[in-house]
Amino acid sequence: MSKKTKRYNGGRDPDEKFETSMIGKIALFLGPFMLGIVIFTIYPFINAFLMSFKENFSILRNTFSGWGLANYRKVLNDPIFLSGLKTTIKYVVIVVPISLIISIVIAVLLNNTRRFKAILQTAYFMPLVTSTAAISLVFRFIFANEGGLINKIITTLGQTQINFLGTNRWSEFVLYIFGIWNILPFTIILLLAGLQNIDPQYYTAAKVDGAKTLDIFTNITVPLLSPTIALVAIVNSISAFKVFDYVFQLYNKPGPGYNLYTIIYYIYEKFGGTKPQYGHAAAASIVLFFIIAVFTLLQRVLQKKTNY
Amino acid sequence: MEVRIEDLVKRFDDVVAVNKVNATFESGKLIALLGPSGCGKSTMLNMLSGIMPVTEGKIYFDDRDVTMLSPDKREVGLVFQNYALYPHMSVLENICFPLKIKRVPKAERIEKAKEYARMVHIDDYLDRLPKELSGGQQQRVAIARALVKRPKLLLLDEPLSNLDAKLRVEMREEIRRIQRESGVTTVFVTHDQEEATSISDYIMLMKLGVKQQFAKTRNLYNDPANLFVADFIGNPTINQLHGIYEKGNFRPDAYENAIPIGRYQIEDGSRVVFASRPESVIVEKKNGKTVMEVEETYVSGKDTLCVLKAGDGRLRAYVDNDSAPQEKDLVSVSFRDRGVFVFNEESGERYYE
Repeated sequence: MSKKTKRYNGGRDPDEKFETSMIGKIALFLGPFMLGIVIFTIYPFINAFLMSFKENFSILRNTFSGWGLANYRKVLNDPIFLSGLKTTIKYVVIVVPISLIISIVIAVLLNNTRRFKAILQTAYFMPLVTSTAAISLVFRFIFANEGGLINKIITTLGQTQINFLGTNRWSEFVLYIFGIWNILPFTIILLLAGLQNIDPQYYTAAKVDGAKTLDIFTNITVPLLSPTIALVAIVNSISAFKVFDYVFQLYNKPGPGYNLYTIIYYIYEKFGGTKPQYGHAAAASIVLFFIIAVFTLLQRVLQKKTNY
Repeated sequence: MEVRIEDLVKRFDDVVAVNKVNATFESGKLIALLGPSGCGKSTMLNMLSGIMPVTEGKIYFDDRDVTMLSPDKREVGLVFQNYALYPHMSVLENICFPLKIKRVPKAERIEKAKEYARMVHIDDYLDRLPKELSGGQQQRVAIARALVKRPKLLLLDEPLSNLDAKLRVEMREEIRRIQRESGVTTVFVTHDQEEATSISDYIMLMKLGVKQQFAKTRNLYNDPANLFVADFIGNPTINQLHGIYEKGNFRPDAYENAIPIGRYQIEDGSRVVFASRPESVIVEKKNGKTVMEVEETYVSGKDTLCVLKAGDGRLRAYVDNDSAPQEKDLVSVSFRDRGVFVFNEESGERYYE
């Protein structure tokens, strides 16, 4: 028996039986979870990775003509994939910063108010506990062409109604609002936790020095909150890169004119449909994986930098 | 700047934290707010800084009524107990911060900050972050940050309580030096009587929100206003014998012999406390006077502290090493005129001759 297990024996006499029974227990507790991870995450990941290098792969016959980079060449030269990438990046660049700014303002206000705190906390928590499908129905009602809430207001004011859900320009706009709305609660919760970690004495010190609310916000609150802000920005970016369900739930297709065709939509369509191309789907997945990996590394670096 | 407080009261719901305190802090002096925890000294400081609103009473800075003014309008510098240095700013940025808020041009504020960094001897660490500094260094930065805006009043909340013993002695001398150099009226809070007596010009001693005595540091020791003050100030603590006053004599409960203490305006038969500083107890070779047994002796420097058995009680006396008795010796005890006080046993009020 090794020295290590002798030292860590849970206070009992070290003997051979103990070690084996311990392994059994570990397996019992970890087993089900590990099984799930292996079947649904690790195996598919490895398989997708391998699949992306198999040329002319058929999933039903499990045949392929050879190993190579043909799938990547095809995907990276596919104008549909590239426009999907562009649409996705645009979504990330718009939704993540705007939702972050709104969340910071709301979180700071929530942190400073004592009145209505309970009501406000329920209010901002609502989107998180409501299913996105239900929210998408409400959004569809709000932005509907005939009888939609906003169009009713617009026509009452004597303006011509806008086809929010049916035109490329406006459908994009509705998607962004929907995306921002849905990630607000999670973002606010994390930011609130970050705010509560800031020692109130810093605010008092700044006030004694004559700092006004805005000075305190820019010089104290935001810098001290920056580790949380960095974390939230990265986590939100990662999930925004994987945007698919919001589009699907709002429009049942990639936007009214195929204008909201994101990377995941590309992968989804390549996997299904009448002419599935599994190799292309796998290659696109791996490309997306590397984009997200870069962001994850970025988060590591940022967190180290903002560790006071 | 002179600070004057009039009938200052602070109430938290039912608790009276500060009760009708009056005082005038002379300009350019170092004043200690001293007292056991819960005596209202920190509350006083917070009201002076403007962080905490006043319930009743007035605060004047010179002739200006500042009672309702916010902290920044009072022009006070505040050093927090745990320093509250901004963790994301370097030493230089921390010291610059109050000037940055005042929109002082960058070159000017850096120059000023460096000047104060030199004054508190922290100028070698300007680029460090607070977490890279020791407690004493953080303390210096906090003082520089409080002084850089040239406050009229510097307030320090338990400035030395977070430092280790050696650093504490060093930093209290530093605070004294910095205060003298800057000439700013300074008020600091402490619960340590030694800390207060070693560096301050004046001490305000408080108990349960009530001012007990506000006097020059030396007078607090030599001329205590009541039993609480006499007991709180001085190490070792003042000797206390309970007993009865009768025709110029004090009859202790603990032993037989009466002590002649002179004429006081006290009714014969009143219960009093006779208090004596250890250096005011005269210990001699056994003669006709009150005889006591030496229980223990401690040599400290040039003096020996003798603990004497006074009936059920104990008396502490300082004796020169050369004439110090041995343990178990029988000695005669009498008292000097200086450093002995008589107090009302019930109220603790002092009787005067």
